[in-house]
Amino acid sequence: MKKKVLAVLLAVSMVAALSGCGANQAATAVEGAADQAAEAVEESVEEVTDAVEEAVDEVGEDFGTGEIKVWVADAVVDFTNAKIAEFMEANPQYAGYTVTVEPVGEGDAAGNMITDVQGGADIYAFAQDQIARLVSAGALEEVAPENEAAVKSENDPGSVSAATVGGVLYAYPLTSDNGYFLYYDKSVVTDPSSLEKILADCEAAGKNFYMEINSGWYQTAFFFATGCKLEYETDDQGNFTAANVTYASPEGVVALKKMIELNGSKAFQNGSAAGEATNVAAIVDGTWDSSTVKDLFGDNYACAKLPTFEGADGKSYQMSGFGGFKLLGVKPQEDDNKLAVCDALAAYLASGDVQLARYNEVGWGPSNLAAQGSADVKADEALAALGQQLAYTIPQGQYPGEYWELATALGDSVRNGEISANSSDDDLMATLQSFQDTCVGYAK
Amino acid sequence: MGKGIIRIFQTIGAAFKEGDFRCRISFLLMGFGQLLRGQFVKGAAFMLLEGAFIKYMVSFGARYFSKLSTLGTVATQKVRRKTIYGDNSFLILLFGILTVFVILAFAVLWYLNVKDNYEILKLVREGKKIPTNKENLASLFDKNFDKTLLALPVTGIFVFTVLPIVFMICVAFTNYDKNHQAPTNLFTWVGLENFEHLLSFGSSGMGRTFAQVLIWTLVWAFFATFLDYFLGLAVAILINKKGIRFKKLWRTLLVVTIAVPQFVSLLYVMKMFANDGLINGYLMKWGWISSPIQFWVDPMLARITIIVVNIWIGIPYMMLIATGLLMNIPEDLYESARIDGASGWQMFRKITLPYMLFVTGPFLLTQFTNNLNNFNVIYLLTQGKPLSMKLAENAGNTDLLVTWLYKMTVLDTNYRMAAVIGIMVFIVTAVVSLVVYNMLPSVRDEEGFQ
Amino acid sequence: MKKKKIAGNIVSYIVLILISIVWLFPFFGLFLQSFRSYDPKVEYGGMVDYLVPKTFSLDNYRFLFSGQTNFLKWYANTLIIAICVAVIQTVIVLCVSYALSRMRFSGRTFLMRFWLILGMFPGFLTMICLYFLLKQFGLTQAGAVPGLILVGTASSGMGYYVCKGYFDTIPKALDDAARIDGATRARVFFTMTIPMSKPIIIYTALVAFMAPWCDYVFASYVAFGHDESFNVAVAMTRWVWTNDYQGYFTRFCAGGILIAIPVTILFMCLQKYYVEGVTGGAVKG
Repeated sequence: MKKKVLAVLLAVSMVAALSGCGANQAATAVEGAADQAAEAVEESVEEVTDAVEEAVDEVGEDFGTGEIKVWVADAVVDFTNAKIAEFMEANPQYAGYTVTVEPVGEGDAAGNMITDVQGGADIYAFAQDQIARLVSAGALEEVAPENEAAVKSENDPGSVSAATVGGVLYAYPLTSDNGYFLYYDKSVVTDPSSLEKILADCEAAGKNFYMEINSGWYQTAFFFATGCKLEYETDDQGNFTAANVTYASPEGVVALKKMIELNGSKAFQNGSAAGEATNVAAIVDGTWDSSTVKDLFGDNYACAKLPTFEGADGKSYQMSGFGGFKLLGVKPQEDDNKLAVCDALAAYLASGDVQLARYNEVGWGPSNLAAQGSADVKADEALAALGQQLAYTIPQGQYPGEYWELATALGDSVRNGEISANSSDDDLMATLQSFQDTCVGYAK
Repeated sequence: MGKGIIRIFQTIGAAFKEGDFRCRISFLLMGFGQLLRGQFVKGAAFMLLEGAFIKYMVSFGARYFSKLSTLGTVATQKVRRKTIYGDNSFLILLFGILTVFVILAFAVLWYLNVKDNYEILKLVREGKKIPTNKENLASLFDKNFDKTLLALPVTGIFVFTVLPIVFMICVAFTNYDKNHQAPTNLFTWVGLENFEHLLSFGSSGMGRTFAQVLIWTLVWAFFATFLDYFLGLAVAILINKKGIRFKKLWRTLLVVTIAVPQFVSLLYVMKMFANDGLINGYLMKWGWISSPIQFWVDPMLARITIIVVNIWIGIPYMMLIATGLLMNIPEDLYESARIDGASGWQMFRKITLPYMLFVTGPFLLTQFTNNLNNFNVIYLLTQGKPLSMKLAENAGNTDLLVTWLYKMTVLDTNYRMAAVIGIMVFIVTAVVSLVVYNMLPSVRDEEGFQ
Repeated sequence: MKKKKIAGNIVSYIVLILISIVWLFPFFGLFLQSFRSYDPKVEYGGMVDYLVPKTFSLDNYRFLFSGQTNFLKWYANTLIIAICVAVIQTVIVLCVSYALSRMRFSGRTFLMRFWLILGMFPGFLTMICLYFLLKQFGLTQAGAVPGLILVGTASSGMGYYVCKGYFDTIPKALDDAARIDGATRARVFFTMTIPMSKPIIIYTALVAFMAPWCDYVFASYVAFGHDESFNVAVAMTRWVWTNDYQGYFTRFCAGGILIAIPVTILFMCLQKYYVEGVTGGAVKG
């Protein structure tokens, strides 16, 4: 018995002694850092040769296997699944890949991607205001060179510039309908061309007029109308390098005063979601809500471009605003083959045919020029109103994430009466000046 | 504390000096001495743990630990279209700290091993019997039962509470924000920069905003705690009153707000109070008001509404607690007061309230600190809105420090500042607790209470 | 004198009735709204400013059970999390409380103070860190349900106050007598302490069971991008907060009712123990 135990002990102690080089381990660890750096360089050299080899291999068309995660809004999950099935059928060379589609809204996608880039989706749809943030977090890959020319020529110029950061095309335009216009109830609103008349009609009927003035997106309808400017320049890393903001100007004061006046109307409600609005007679909203508004107004459904308003200076201004876009992005990949498949799939999902099919399915207005020209799209009432409005809007460029919150703060300040009809022009100017300074401060 | 450390080193020294070869080899090869002396279970456990430690360090820990001082230097690069990720500062910091913990735990283990060896040796020299394996195991269910009971919970708390907290404290000293995000970008140590930013009262600093949010946090916690307390007490007294029937029914009706998950009830209440919600809708329909009451829009009104809604949730807790306690007050106290001609209010002030305050003092304190961090009520009702041009970093008029820091991480990925605010929250909570705790009349000697 | 008493009682009843109405009104509203159809042919389904639906329909409930969303899956997830957390947390709390209440070991007061201080750090800060810890074990997204159970229970030892307070009231003399008779600590714990602690066990389990139903913030961090592992709170707050789900308000109400009813019934049945627990907890702090 004792012998056995001794044998076991010896064996154990030998194993332990072998692994007991623990003391050396610490030294090795210190060297490790240097080694790894060197290794990384070596690796990257290898990668280059690999890449060259792979480029040669590509003729062989073996894309290997893998999984691709796609995030789109809940409303188009089924549609996207169907289209992906068609795509896989048409491209048997990608058969090694399984694609899963998850419902993640365009609003949430960016936040989730940034939390964990490596755990996020490979292809995802997002609203364009997030693009700079996504680029600087390293969550967007440049559009593949072979697709670039086609994307640029087939989509409307506004959508292409929305997908471009610092001269580099980072995403595939998906829709060109992220703009807003006026929905109204024909039986209440008699003249949709003037903001004052709309409000008067609504007040008389005891109904509500909805516009989300505490949103940086809707707010520009006033500021751009009077000729204020708000523009940023970015480098290709998504950093903001320069800003051109002219809110602190007489024009800015006119716009702000109009917002204050609108807020004072008892018919006014702050909001832009038709499904959440009550007792509505008119709402500034986008095409994505057209079916909800149709339910809401029934036979009295009508839409038009945004109205004009009369400024405090006596002049009449046409309300402006942003024309925005939804984009489809591909995440940076550690595997060339997978990246190629993702590129191809994203290009397909954003192609003209699929955009048109998507319009027919859920009514999202295409950014593809050919799809925009199709008879169905042209006949769409809401898209027509949006089209009219687009003449007065500015294609939305890149804005720092903080801008949107800052604009909400400005809108809230109007709504809660921090700045009101009683404020002097100097007060208003001071508020706009601080707004402008903060905006400029975002660009470094 | 100092004495303890000295004693530890004394033990180690003595074990080495006086120890035999078994004891000394155990310095390197843990559990060796125990094994040779027949304590296989204990010896093997020590040895296995040492093996596990070495394996962990070699295959995982050393990699991260060695980069902890720089948080990584290898940048992410692109080779044609492919991305090759460099060092991940986030994981280096996280697993670096984990490794520090593991090393510390191993050091403690090593000391225990040395001490145990030495003690066995002493037993042998004194000619006493060494505990057998069976006795060792059995002690885990008797003399050392506390170790068995606490092993898992303490480990869990270390990995899932202590580690993350240490991590976040460290983040406060780095530049981890939206421009320095792992895995694509590196972040690194910046010293006290973030604290200076928070406490600078210049035009670009956050000082003023921080002060306002902090004051509202304290005001909110005060009202949320004491209003609920006194109103809950009042309702409890009302229900307990002699002659009121269906006591159980009234209580049951009120506790519904505890039972229904808050995200259901509060989101509905939020919609109810909206400008275009039910309440404004009906008031306007009935012609009581001509334009909507700005419940969530006007900063002051929003704060008041939040406090009122919180009463709706908070009263039932207090009512339940008070109900039980009120019955404990001896009835003859009231009886004699009544004979002396005291009114109901006087009896409440002289008998009920002092008793309740005495008994529930610690509870009030915990309530207060909980309310300082009451995320759900604020976030589900207003998300900190309305915002204001007067506040920096997207802080809103109803933001508590915790909701503010949550928004910073989610909207702005501004972890560096969020971590600083987190530390501030801790300081505020700790100071309040410390000050109030020492003022409590009912702070008692724990042993004496048993 | 008697008249005054009756008048006083009438006032009390009126106050109580008013309070009850205010307390129940939102739930009543929630209940009524859940029966408003979302089908525009029946009744407009978005937000409205009236309380009583013009037509009652079960459309929302049908929708939830129809499989158009993963509602049943979310419900099951939450239920699984709640049950597991309740069981594991109760076991851990009992262990910790017994050790702290009955045994005196070195570092005991240090441990209690240390945990008290830990509790003063805001938990939200640590979410991103916990996310990556869980990710290391594959317990995020698809594995979010076990991940949430792990996080929900891992630190539950810190919530020992109420239970320890209860154990402190059980006379130590009982333990000592049993130990003189030769019973080990473990035997005392399993055969004496636990059977005497039914109220506190039920209280601990009940509180632990109810928490996961409200967990929005952390659950949304862990499960993002994987619809099937959402819990009800994460999945359904989307219906109110995001514009992708307009017109889902009545469905939210119906879902809310389905969640609230079982939890409320359970709570009502065990109310007695809950009161005992919170009262004891309040006194002992």
